[in-house]
Amino acid sequence: MTTLVVDGLSVHYGGVCAAQDIGFTVAPGQSVGIIGANGAGKTSTLKALMGLVPRTVRSIRFGEHDLTRVPGRKMVRYGIGYVPEGRHVFPGLPVEKNLLLGAYSKPWKGATLDTLDEVYTLFPVLGEMRHRLAGALSGGQQQMLAIGRALMSAPRLMLLDEPSMGLSPKLVENIVAVLQKLNRDGLGILLVEQNAKLTFEVTTECLVMENGIVAMNGTSEQLREDPRVRQIYLGL
Amino acid sequence: MRYRVGGIALLGVAAWLLPYQLDSYAIHVVNVMLLYALLAIGLGLAMGIAGQINLAQVAFFGVGAYVTAILTTKSGWGFWAAAVVAILAAAAIGLLVGTPALRMQSHYLGIVTLGLALAFTNWVTNSHLAGGAEGITGIPRPQLPGVDLSSEYLFYYVELIVFAVALAFGIFVVRTPLGRRMRAMRDDALAAGAVGVEVPMLRMTAFLFAGVYGGIAGVLYAGLIRYVAPETFSIANMFLLLAMVIIGGRQSLVGCVIGAISLALVRELLVDYPTYAQVAYGSVVVLTVVFAPTGLAGLPRRVTGWLRRRGWLPGGAATAGALRPFQPYGQAPAPQAGPMLEVTGVSKHFRGLTALQDITLTVPAGQIRGIVGPNGSGKTTLFNVVSGLYKPSAGRVAIAGTDLTAARPYRLAQAGIARTFQNLRLFAALTVRENVLVALDRSRIRSIWRYAVWQVGVWRHDRELRRRADQILERFGLTDFADSLPGALPYGIQRRVEVARAMAATPRLLLLDEPAAGLNGEEVRQLAEIVRSIRGAGVTVVVIEHNMGLVMSLCDQVTVLSNGRIIADGEPARVAVDPHVIEAYLGDSTVIDVPAAEEATQATEVKL
Amino acid sequence: MQVTIQTFIGGLSLGAIYALVAMGFSLVYRTMGLVNFAHGNVVMIGAYFASTFYLSAKLPFAAAMVIALVVTGLIGIVIERVLRPLENKDFDLMLIGTIGFGIVLEALAIIIWGATGRAVPSPVPGAPLDVFGIRIRTYDLVVLAIAAAATAVLVLFLQRTKRGAAMQAVAMDHQAATAVGIHVGRSNSIAFMIGAGLAALAGGLVGPLLYVSPAMGGTLGIKGFAAAILGGFGSIPGAIIGGLCIGVLDGFTAGHFQGYSELVTFLVFTVIIMVRPTGIFGERTVNRA
Repeated sequence: MTTLVVDGLSVHYGGVCAAQDIGFTVAPGQSVGIIGANGAGKTSTLKALMGLVPRTVRSIRFGEHDLTRVPGRKMVRYGIGYVPEGRHVFPGLPVEKNLLLGAYSKPWKGATLDTLDEVYTLFPVLGEMRHRLAGALSGGQQQMLAIGRALMSAPRLMLLDEPSMGLSPKLVENIVAVLQKLNRDGLGILLVEQNAKLTFEVTTECLVMENGIVAMNGTSEQLREDPRVRQIYLGL
Repeated sequence: MRYRVGGIALLGVAAWLLPYQLDSYAIHVVNVMLLYALLAIGLGLAMGIAGQINLAQVAFFGVGAYVTAILTTKSGWGFWAAAVVAILAAAAIGLLVGTPALRMQSHYLGIVTLGLALAFTNWVTNSHLAGGAEGITGIPRPQLPGVDLSSEYLFYYVELIVFAVALAFGIFVVRTPLGRRMRAMRDDALAAGAVGVEVPMLRMTAFLFAGVYGGIAGVLYAGLIRYVAPETFSIANMFLLLAMVIIGGRQSLVGCVIGAISLALVRELLVDYPTYAQVAYGSVVVLTVVFAPTGLAGLPRRVTGWLRRRGWLPGGAATAGALRPFQPYGQAPAPQAGPMLEVTGVSKHFRGLTALQDITLTVPAGQIRGIVGPNGSGKTTLFNVVSGLYKPSAGRVAIAGTDLTAARPYRLAQAGIARTFQNLRLFAALTVRENVLVALDRSRIRSIWRYAVWQVGVWRHDRELRRRADQILERFGLTDFADSLPGALPYGIQRRVEVARAMAATPRLLLLDEPAAGLNGEEVRQLAEIVRSIRGAGVTVVVIEHNMGLVMSLCDQVTVLSNGRIIADGEPARVAVDPHVIEAYLGDSTVIDVPAAEEATQATEVKL
Repeated sequence: MQVTIQTFIGGLSLGAIYALVAMGFSLVYRTMGLVNFAHGNVVMIGAYFASTFYLSAKLPFAAAMVIALVVTGLIGIVIERVLRPLENKDFDLMLIGTIGFGIVLEALAIIIWGATGRAVPSPVPGAPLDVFGIRIRTYDLVVLAIAAAATAVLVLFLQRTKRGAAMQAVAMDHQAATAVGIHVGRSNSIAFMIGAGLAALAGGLVGPLLYVSPAMGGTLGIKGFAAAILGGFGSIPGAIIGGLCIGVLDGFTAGHFQGYSELVTFLVFTVIIMVRPTGIFGERTVNRA
């Protein structure tokens, strides 16, 4: 099976250490969260894992594959989907094109079209708007599109970066429901979030980051009760 | 310094004796070369120093030459009277061509200036007045009492003197306040505006210089060749000139001159194979751009840097020296009571996206106000509206009672607002001292006349600024890094340089955008000390910060934004237990038991 | 009135060529944010290759055109590859780098074909058509038809093919494009190749209309660029409308101002762009702190 094992991941931007010596494991079908306040280094960690920013890392393994030297554009072929922070859909392209581009590494026929139908079933609103330009969608719809786009590559593990950002509590609940469903269906999830409540609902284990390092980790159940989480967030 | 003076003197003597070694053809080549060097200085000032893409330099050259030709041959003016008018005309055309720079930059500016240069060649090729494709012949030889300027040998000395003065003046500009502001604008126009640099006027000044240098070269050309025709001012020659500046090193006037002279020499050597020469210099331009963007002038530094990295040269890290402790400001009398910053009903929309919604807040004079909130909640947008980078869609901003909504950034800087940026916007090619000097410099563009007539005044002013800059560097403990480029310094020090630069502008209101981002614990502690001292000196401070520990211990009052709205406002300890705030940050106020407010207050005090 | 309409149609055919040049500019700009000042010279090289194979090798016009397309496509790839280290870094340096390439291409053209130009006979012989008393050159119609066809093919490529969608995706968000598995460098390379191909098409078509000379690149490039900016930089419909506008403007200024037509065209362009720097279809990009 495909377990993600990350060891010794660090990110430096022009002399600033955004993340230092991060290590964690995501078991197949498991859901793991990384939480922390703004600027704690969560996004940098995720981008570095995807190979989108320069990084140093001891090793990244995904199942039997060694991803330590795999460039960002090839990660998707190993079954890793990525939902970027701030959604980053392709605004000038129609919804359906956005989704199909998610399956860029596969032929756009057969199984891919089945996956497209599954995404439309999961997010009916995307089906209704399939010919609309992605830039014209609301924030919540764009978030669904970004998740849908990542699903199109039929990943085994999905990395999500702040899916709750800028969404109303109602929409956040929808996203939570979707993530829980995907996880139940066997998709591994690595969720980077500021919103601790959402993360605790979706994940079983969590890392808490502060100033570029992992300050705490434990099961979501434990952390939910732990007052130190709140201290790390609010600096008390 | 002594070596440098000696070197210049030696060069001067060599230049003075040069004609004795040359035959009449060679002296002609040298004369033309000096004209290219003059043009290159003008282009270097506009493009390399001020960062304004100018592909019309050859047209300024042409205006100078043609006006001289027309006035002397058609209107019967004397050469020198015509020359004065010609230079003025070239300056005027320079300003005219520069006006688009007020609205556009980079490639847009490139195409517009190139188009206008083409329009100029088109005009002279067709105009009856300009002699059409044949051009104008029979320009009278310039007269100087006692000197026969028809001799190219003697004309060389005229050119040499003009060139020396022009180069010296150019270097003087670069090293004094005007040029420093231009370089700051080139490195980062946004940050330059934020420290009070009058960006639009400075862009025009750059084109004015380009015009004047082009005009002078044109006049000398008319006097030297005594014949003007359109092909001299063609686009091909414009690109040759550009190649000279790029290969020589656009950011150094001496580099521009070296580029002009060496390329003119190479062209002379390959005079029988002009197209092969063209292939060669075109290729060198491409290679320069990719591999050595600083050109020939930047080579020595690159080579020594490379040798150092390999360990073949001693020296190494440019950061030899230490960050010294900050010396607190003296306690100033409490500023006049009353609001320093009033934001009333400000909204900001970006293409349908609402970044700020009806924000109203008042910061009393002498307060340290914290602004916090989750990612994307509109904090930086608010700063950008207050400091004039964005125009609000609705609402007003007043500083100390004066309405300054949507004023230009430099106007706001002059009114007493200074700011730092989330991602550090230091002027990369200026030293730490120069970064501070740009902000210290309160001289306005209207005092530029002093450059023309009272250089001593400029120099004295500069010396005074440098003295004050050294005081500021000393206060912020940065003396050891005064001559380093910011990029070579550790991040924490760069952050401090940015605060020092902001304070150099002697603001009444200081906006700090995430000043603690990327700092370690000790640096954060020092930052808190600096900010308190700044407030003690009578400056009102507004700070956006994610480091909640810092916010809690530093701020008198905290405003919390979420989704572009204010969701809480009050004392830090109260805000931290506000359910709305906890919900915004953690997703739900019921996640963790909310401790009583007293506990939170105690926790804050312990940390203090 | 007749004259006006004839001028208008003549302007349209020249405008169609400017539009092709502008589309090349826009395509490259949109995908990689690079303004290719050598584009005009690529047009010139295309014109020479097409005319050489058409005149000297006696190949059919269409075949000569295909050869020109291939050669310029390769030139495009070379330019992109050499300047790739500067991508997303220094805009002004990249711009100057392309000027350097332009200088080289022009000199190479002089070395190969000589400094003097050549006239290319129209590949469609025959008298002008007479429609209600208005005389229309048949070649003008051919140019318009080919330009329209090329535009249609380009639009279909961008909208219907996977590669076309990927190229647009790279233009909109290169990081997100990388994350879905698109090779950004390769995509840029192809964009550059297509841009150069459009330039060759424009060059081949313009041969019989104007005089083919090493210096033609400058004027054509700048007018094509002006067209691209006028329509709104980076927008395909903008490039077409901008090109046609500049072409018609050119036609009329040539009629009214004779030799001064370029002067007037550039002055009008400068004024328009001062009033509306983003062009007709352009969007203002927000400069963020």
